[in-house]
Amino acid sequence: MAEIVLSNVHKVYGHVVAVKDINLAINDREFVVLVGPSGCGKSTTLRMIAGLEEISAGTIAIGGRVVNHLQPKDRDVAMVFQNYALYRHMSVRDNLAFGLRNRRVPAHEIAAAISRAARILSIEPLLDRRPHQLSGGQQQRVALGRCIVRNPKVFLFDEPLSNLDAQLRAQMRLELKELRLRVPTTSIFVTHDQTEAMTLGDRIVVMKDGVVQQVGTPLELYRKPVNRFVASFIGSPSMNFLAVNVTADGEDFTLACQGWQFTLPSRRFPDLASRIGRSVWVGVRPQHIRLGAPVSGNQVALKGTVMVTEQLGDEQLLAVRLGDSEIRIAGVDPDLALATGSQIEAAVAADNLHFFDEAEEAR
Amino acid sequence: MRDVAVVQARSVGFFAALAPRGKAVFFALAAVAICLLFAFPVFWLILTSLRPGTGVYYVHRGTEFTVDNFHEVLSQDIVLRALLNSFMISTLATVLSLGVTATSGYMLSRFKGPIPNAWFSLMYIFRCVPYVAWVLPLYFVTQQLSIFDTYWGLLLPHIAVHICFFSWIMKGFFDGIDPSMEYAAMIDGCSRWGAFWRVALPSAIPGLTALAILCWLYTWNEFLFALILTAHETPILTVVMAQFVHELGMEWHLMSATAVIALVPALIVTLFGQR
Repeated sequence: MAEIVLSNVHKVYGHVVAVKDINLAINDREFVVLVGPSGCGKSTTLRMIAGLEEISAGTIAIGGRVVNHLQPKDRDVAMVFQNYALYRHMSVRDNLAFGLRNRRVPAHEIAAAISRAARILSIEPLLDRRPHQLSGGQQQRVALGRCIVRNPKVFLFDEPLSNLDAQLRAQMRLELKELRLRVPTTSIFVTHDQTEAMTLGDRIVVMKDGVVQQVGTPLELYRKPVNRFVASFIGSPSMNFLAVNVTADGEDFTLACQGWQFTLPSRRFPDLASRIGRSVWVGVRPQHIRLGAPVSGNQVALKGTVMVTEQLGDEQLLAVRLGDSEIRIAGVDPDLALATGSQIEAAVAADNLHFFDEAEEAR
Repeated sequence: MRDVAVVQARSVGFFAALAPRGKAVFFALAAVAICLLFAFPVFWLILTSLRPGTGVYYVHRGTEFTVDNFHEVLSQDIVLRALLNSFMISTLATVLSLGVTATSGYMLSRFKGPIPNAWFSLMYIFRCVPYVAWVLPLYFVTQQLSIFDTYWGLLLPHIAVHICFFSWIMKGFFDGIDPSMEYAAMIDGCSRWGAFWRVALPSAIPGLTALAILCWLYTWNEFLFALILTAHETPILTVVMAQFVHELGMEWHLMSATAVIALVPALIVTLFGQR
């Protein structure tokens, strides 16, 4: 069993708080992704779990044992680095064997572990090469192999795909998913790429400025983001946000910004009652907006001017001016000819609207 | 509308003015000239070492050549002792100073804090003091410590100079090595020291070898410290060579022969290091 528990973990560099009071429980064999923009503290958190950074306050436990004061070598974790960090003066075989030799594993067991890992990752023909003779993708596989042979309690991944080109990155994502099935191990994966987070994680931890914003499954984060930051970070293209004023209008609420106004029945949106007279952010995902007039009373109408169209082949992306705001619409029929400046009508289901108060992000 | 032909004044470059392939020929000639500039003194030195004592001033006219100069200098006990001393001191200075330089360069590259900062400042200050200014104080210090005219009396100043100079270069080598390799080693079962010893240091071997050659040649060729800090007990080759100039005249032929002998180990070390 290798569950990981972070309790009130805090990291301070001088006067700068890098990680603030993180509480997180990762289950045995769970694959958790830490995601956030640069400098959000995700890599620092990972390095504290690995033992490469001291913990300023709080405790980290791996498999029920507090590891705060253990050296990295004594934590039984393996880590893949952004730039692979292969030992460049050693062959691939020696790279794989290094960790096992340090632990005085008998030679025949090392050979068996290497051949198993090489088979899983299809790197058998590369075993006698040096790292500089390998492509980026091959180096990445060797770095994964170095983790697998150790059979550790925990795999830690520090942005391992970010140095690969887009095509190879997509391929390695699939390989990582397959690897999870073959070598089920508790894993923490750090990335700034929401696609990697969504595709790989059992659960995702969204971080910003050293603070956890939300923890949940990919669908939970996509469908029920707790604040505007999470909503904008998860999903591509990013969610649209419009600042609207909420007013009470008999049984309904009226939400209005310049160039757009709509009403919502209060019985279906009771949360808005507390926001009457205030400005809130309405969030709409570009994929949830459909061109054409509303077809039911449950939909909200949008009218705007097309500013830019982006043809992707299977769909078009539109940038549409709505009053003094600009919104994006995805999933538009690629054969539809839309000139810049043309007026369009669109609709979004009221259930797909998200409401966020200003400045409600966790700090 | 009137067309105005604008003729842009184009400067005709030096190489453009040369005939086709003129640029290549020019650079080839320049390379040959520079090689000659450096090779000619060595050639003249070897020529002088093969001339009898009476013929050194007429090298360009004489036809008489001999290896007697080599026999004569190699039969002198002081030259043989100086060869051995110079070799031992150069080698020891290289090994000892690189031992310190590697760790000190690694510390400067990887660690932040008051100790690396103080160490860096100290070396910086030492580097700012002109080399010549150390010699006289060192003479008194070695006298006081009773290590004047011994191996240690010459080794310690050399090591100190090398550490100050080469730690900076070593820091540059380690800066070029990705530290995540050491983190990987620490996770793979190494201590901090183990990660340095087994991963960072082997990766720095090309840089370390270049420094070793520089260090060895520097000590082998050094004259000022050797002249002031040694006497009869520990003769050093560069000083012994200079002693062929004395009150009775200048024995250029013997000096040249000794210099040619001194070239050989330097050449071997350089070629060996390059491999």
